[in-house]
Amino acid sequence: MATYDNKAWLLKNVRDAFIATDDTGLCEIVMAGEDFSKIYQNKAMEEKKRDRDKVLYQPSTSRGKGSETEDEDEKEVVTQFDPYPDMEDSDEDEPCPSYPRFTDEMVHRQRSNTAQWLDKKELALKKAAKIKVIKWEDPPAPLTAEQMSEVFTKVNIVKPEKKKSLLAEMLEKCPDLPHRQYLEYAKFDGTAQLGLPTKSFKIFMTMLPEKHQNYPLIVCVIASAKIKDLIGFTCYKYSIEHPDITLGSVHDYGLYIAEDDGEVDWAFPCLDNNEPCSKFGFTCLGLDLKRKESNSCPIADFEMNSFTCFPKASVSGQSNVNTSRQKTGDSDTSEIIRAMNTLNEGNRSKLGFQSGVVTDASQDKLYRVQLLHKVRANTPVQLGITLDTIEVVPLVTNKHAFWARPKYFLHSMNSVAWCQILEAKSSKTTFRIVYSPSHDISYHDRNNSVNVNLYHPNTIYKKHDFECEHDTARKIVDKVNTILDLRNSPCRREYKSVKEKKLQTRTSFNAKHMS
Amino acid sequence: MLVIAGVSIVFHNMSGDSAVGSGSQVALVTGGYDHTIKLWQAHSGVCLRTMQHPDSQVNDLEINPNGQMVAACGYQHIRTYDLASANPDPVMNFENIIKNVSRVGFQENGQWMYTGGEDCTARIWDLRVGRPFQCQRIFEVPAPVNAAVLHPDQSQIIVGGQTGIIHIWDIRTDHHEQLIPEAEASIQDIAIDPEGKLMAAVNNKGNCYVWSLGGSPPRPVPRTKLQAHKKYALRCKFSYDSTMLVTTSGDWSARVWRTSDWSLMRELRHDSQRWVWDAAFTLDSRYLFTGSSDSYARLWDLEKGTLEREYCGHQKSITALAFRDQAV
Repeated sequence: MATYDNKAWLLKNVRDAFIATDDTGLCEIVMAGEDFSKIYQNKAMEEKKRDRDKVLYQPSTSRGKGSETEDEDEKEVVTQFDPYPDMEDSDEDEPCPSYPRFTDEMVHRQRSNTAQWLDKKELALKKAAKIKVIKWEDPPAPLTAEQMSEVFTKVNIVKPEKKKSLLAEMLEKCPDLPHRQYLEYAKFDGTAQLGLPTKSFKIFMTMLPEKHQNYPLIVCVIASAKIKDLIGFTCYKYSIEHPDITLGSVHDYGLYIAEDDGEVDWAFPCLDNNEPCSKFGFTCLGLDLKRKESNSCPIADFEMNSFTCFPKASVSGQSNVNTSRQKTGDSDTSEIIRAMNTLNEGNRSKLGFQSGVVTDASQDKLYRVQLLHKVRANTPVQLGITLDTIEVVPLVTNKHAFWARPKYFLHSMNSVAWCQILEAKSSKTTFRIVYSPSHDISYHDRNNSVNVNLYHPNTIYKKHDFECEHDTARKIVDKVNTILDLRNSPCRREYKSVKEKKLQTRTSFNAKHMS
Repeated sequence: MLVIAGVSIVFHNMSGDSAVGSGSQVALVTGGYDHTIKLWQAHSGVCLRTMQHPDSQVNDLEINPNGQMVAACGYQHIRTYDLASANPDPVMNFENIIKNVSRVGFQENGQWMYTGGEDCTARIWDLRVGRPFQCQRIFEVPAPVNAAVLHPDQSQIIVGGQTGIIHIWDIRTDHHEQLIPEAEASIQDIAIDPEGKLMAAVNNKGNCYVWSLGGSPPRPVPRTKLQAHKKYALRCKFSYDSTMLVTTSGDWSARVWRTSDWSLMRELRHDSQRWVWDAAFTLDSRYLFTGSSDSYARLWDLEKGTLEREYCGHQKSITALAFRDQAV
């Protein structure tokens, strides 16, 4: 928004706005003789002239100087009545530094209220044009007998015969309806509200088999509806569209934050059922059975400086977020623990504890690092490394920006293929962790494929790049590599062989090229 | 949409049902304090469309004889809406009205429409195309009009008002007769049975008065007086076969009376129902719709006395309801 401080200019604009928007033309008639902006402008001219005269006739020693700056004075003497330069009749005025000058590039403010009002009015007029208006008119003359008999004939009443109702027939055909159990939520429908704010969501029916998840259900509710009402209305709408699919009780369902493609971010708890849906900024949600959140220590509670509690991962690989994700065999874990312990005993004396390390459990470490993004700014994350998992927990200082928080990742160690230092800069070191989502057991769990085929000819590898202090980076890379080597998972083996192959082709190409 | 078995076929009709105007469908329309009018798929309870009724509650609704339009009246407004299109706005707006319009109805061919309102008048609006307002008529009474109903012979309009006087207005001759069933009790609604033999009126004391209209000339002869409700009565209507009379009331109930002996046949009550503002019978007189202050409309099976359907979607009280059935 721009600020204007010139009375004359404002007056002119207000005046013009009145005249331009008044269809009746009354404003123009009323204000015809009183164009204050012009009056002010004339006054300004007079004042300037007076000032100039003063300078001209001043019998002073600085006369010479005065004549030198005469032209400049004329431009720079700014009176309170001066208009902005874009007013008509002020073309000859030179831009003056004492006023904000609104060039074309600068004037990029929103459509004015008047313009918006005009739009609204136009829309209302268009709407009104479609409505036939009938005004009461008293009949011009008493009706003739002919007219009377034409319109107001007395008819003989025939006794209505017993008829069968179409409705009754339809009711019989349609004995019970699945959506009836959600009927109380029908009133939250936002599509038919006059003047009430509404909110639309794309809801994926995550709890249904995959074939029903292809398209989200677009749901529009009144903004004051609570999350539980949104769930109820979603069930209502869905059961109308798909009467063949049975849905459960509204109370068993929760709404989870999801991506555009319907992938639910399980790291976050479901939205609070009693909060109004207008409170949340998400538009894509997944509807699923509520999960047991025994330890409801929300991630948003982590502070940058004091993240002491981290309830997610433990030795056994149990996660409070989703237990089904970490089904790594306990037997090999215990073996690795033993191996790690021997390893750590050797390391501990050498490395000591870094500032980023929070817990002293040898197999379970947390580091504070920066997650690098291709486009966005780096985000602080907490990197949790256990024998079974690598966990990336975003750390956000601003709790209110809950929705703007970067993503949470949890990778099974079996899906991590590689870890290496990329670059050591002056103060920081960047390192990379390569993983393969297709090797993630939890990934398969989520997609309900029973037969996990671990052989993927076209495995896709993804990566996370991090940045932190040299020592910490080295330590993390060492640690991850130790775990990876100990595990020697199919994923890592595949990745290694692919890498070797690549290296080979490159050398062979080089050799060919050289020869 | 997956179409499996019979249920889906019924649902398939859902979209087709909005084409009520074809005259081959059933239409349930409700309106109320939330300034909206809703068209329902009566058998499933699904709201098909919502129409806007800005600036006013809906006092009465009436579907025109060909089933194309619904007329709604409220404070300073009479509007008609197209039932066949998806247009949420009215197609006709009757202007220059002061105060509440309490009742609206149509002549059997749709040639004219009648209204009654708190401006102490009953009016006839000429709706014929090409001959605008030729046959407009106005009938003035000394009190605000709460009830107006057209006699099935299309020649008289019965008007009831706040002072408790019922005027029988002969449209052709402009003659009128007066009936005063109870002093100092406001007439809330008047009904005439489809055979034109019975007339009923309810008042704000909850009393219902019934007259016989059988004689020739059809002079009303007092038939019975029912203590229909303990509180304010709001509506009365006869079933299509004239065997039943329903009265609705602020006592949270609707009562169905046998016209043979004026005994109570059913009391339709629901825990959350509150005031029952309006009611409508189906063509076979087996089912009854009610609309109430809990913002629900309900469908009752009168034979079994059971609640068959509920219609949820309004944000506030439902105060008017219109139903058009189809014979099969």
